[in-house]
Amino acid sequence: MRAVLIAAGALVMAFAVTGALTDPDFKGGALVFLVGVLVAHDAVLLPLTIGAGALIGRFVPLRSRPLVRSAALISLAVTVVALPLVLGPGTDYGRGLLEVYGVVWAGTGVVLVIRRVREGRRRRGDTRPRSPLPDPPPARSPGPPPTPGPAPRSPAPGTPPR
Amino acid sequence: MVRDAEPGVIRRAHAWMSRPLPPPPAVLRQGPFRRGAFDTRGRSPRLTSLLGIALGVAFTICFATGLISHLIQHPPFWFGWPSRPVGLYRVTQGVHVATGLASVPLLGAKLWSVYPRLFAWPPVRDPANAIERASIAVLVAAALFQVISGVLNVARWYTPMPFFFTAGHYWAAWLAIGALLTHLGVKLPIVRTALSRRTPDHSAAGTLSRRGLLGTVGVAAGLITVATAGQTVAPLGPVSVLAPRRPGSGPQDLPVNKTAGGAGVRDAILDPAYRLTVVGPARTQTLSLTDLAGLAQHTVVLPISCVEGWSAVGTWTGVRLRDLVALAGADPDDAEAYVESLEARGRYRTTTVPPPHIRDPFTLLALRLGGEPLHPDHGYPARLIAPNRPGVLQTKWVGRITVRSAS
Repeated sequence: MRAVLIAAGALVMAFAVTGALTDPDFKGGALVFLVGVLVAHDAVLLPLTIGAGALIGRFVPLRSRPLVRSAALISLAVTVVALPLVLGPGTDYGRGLLEVYGVVWAGTGVVLVIRRVREGRRRRGDTRPRSPLPDPPPARSPGPPPTPGPAPRSPAPGTPPR
Repeated sequence: MVRDAEPGVIRRAHAWMSRPLPPPPAVLRQGPFRRGAFDTRGRSPRLTSLLGIALGVAFTICFATGLISHLIQHPPFWFGWPSRPVGLYRVTQGVHVATGLASVPLLGAKLWSVYPRLFAWPPVRDPANAIERASIAVLVAAALFQVISGVLNVARWYTPMPFFFTAGHYWAAWLAIGALLTHLGVKLPIVRTALSRRTPDHSAAGTLSRRGLLGTVGVAAGLITVATAGQTVAPLGPVSVLAPRRPGSGPQDLPVNKTAGGAGVRDAILDPAYRLTVVGPARTQTLSLTDLAGLAQHTVVLPISCVEGWSAVGTWTGVRLRDLVALAGADPDDAEAYVESLEARGRYRTTTVPPPHIRDPFTLLALRLGGEPLHPDHGYPARLIAPNRPGVLQTKWVGRITVRSAS
């Protein structure tokens, strides 16, 4: 099974290379682009993303951190899709991109505030009569984006990926 | 294992491939190569496997739908594409683009999850390891190539791409799917173990848990879909603030890719001496606009479905192509037509309409859109509109039709 997959993949890759080299429409610029996107991602975008994550770890309070990381990653993904629309020809999509950022970060802010209020109430002992409004359901947050499993984890020893 | 039974050559080759190579001097183990350079607590084979499977499914969908689109545009002798259902291509190409856009966060997370392995030490253990690492480089480069060139094409921003998009995207698709198959074969045991055993989540406090990261990727993919899919799913239009095209935009409420000005046909199409030439096996007909309007007119509601993923529905009125084929003396049930635009040049200046689309009474040489004469940007004086075809094959500004028998 494994050998079949590996051999089939090698054959398909060989087909791709010979097909590209014999296609009169195929230009060498595609090779430049192939290497370019690899270097741009592995040597620029990903290190910058990891660096931004380290900054979040430095400046954002511990309990808000996972949610802020989540919102930052969502913003990054949307940016990758929208940036060519913003920079490219035709209609200006700058406003649309800002609107999506607005939705993402407003949603994050709402979730953080709700969580803080709820935790504050819990810390005060919660012996006083409750507000007439029923408590929101405890597990899930309302509105996008949903809470990405924010419970603090036990700092177990690292398991290196394989 | 049957390895003992293998002939000596294979065994020797295997031994040579797994012969350890001398490690580089330890002093070179700097920066990201250092032990503990990455916090690997949030990464796990299980996370990578889950992301990898999702990405594999997404890439397979993109490959299949993309191949369909390619085959329709460059049909080999064994390939046939039906004219019904009328909106099938609209669905396959819409799914192609939506899946590709949604795989942006998936690919990003997947590559992050294995990033420390890029800096494994020693960089190459043995020849087999070298080949495997090279194949992973091919996979990553091809995957990035596909997603990024696809995003650029949807935005119609070609400056950053120093090649012809269609050819590059097509061959890189084969490269990516081949590398994906090989990668799956190599990693199958790891995936199997990672998914059959429950692995505790060791992510550190303040970081995203495994579930948190998967949820984030899901929300990002969903948000991208909602923000762009309005280009083909009309009800999403109002919230699709990043839709590369909006149904209802453009002249006569229909989007346009290539304008009459851009195609350089403005003078030719407005010339009162315009005549449509229909060349057939029996005779050649020359038809003025008045002649065309004098033929039986039919109205159909058909979508324009662009390869870039947008689609929009129009109400078209004109002459059935099969009637023109009959006029030229060919059998409309067994003919194909070579349709030429008035454009002087351009890759999509001509198209061949295959027999199933000639037979289909919905296939028109349209003269009107929404009851009015075609806007110049929509192909005035006459354009091809056929069911279940990519927009680039719906030739505009038609000047000549050559009919041949298909058999």
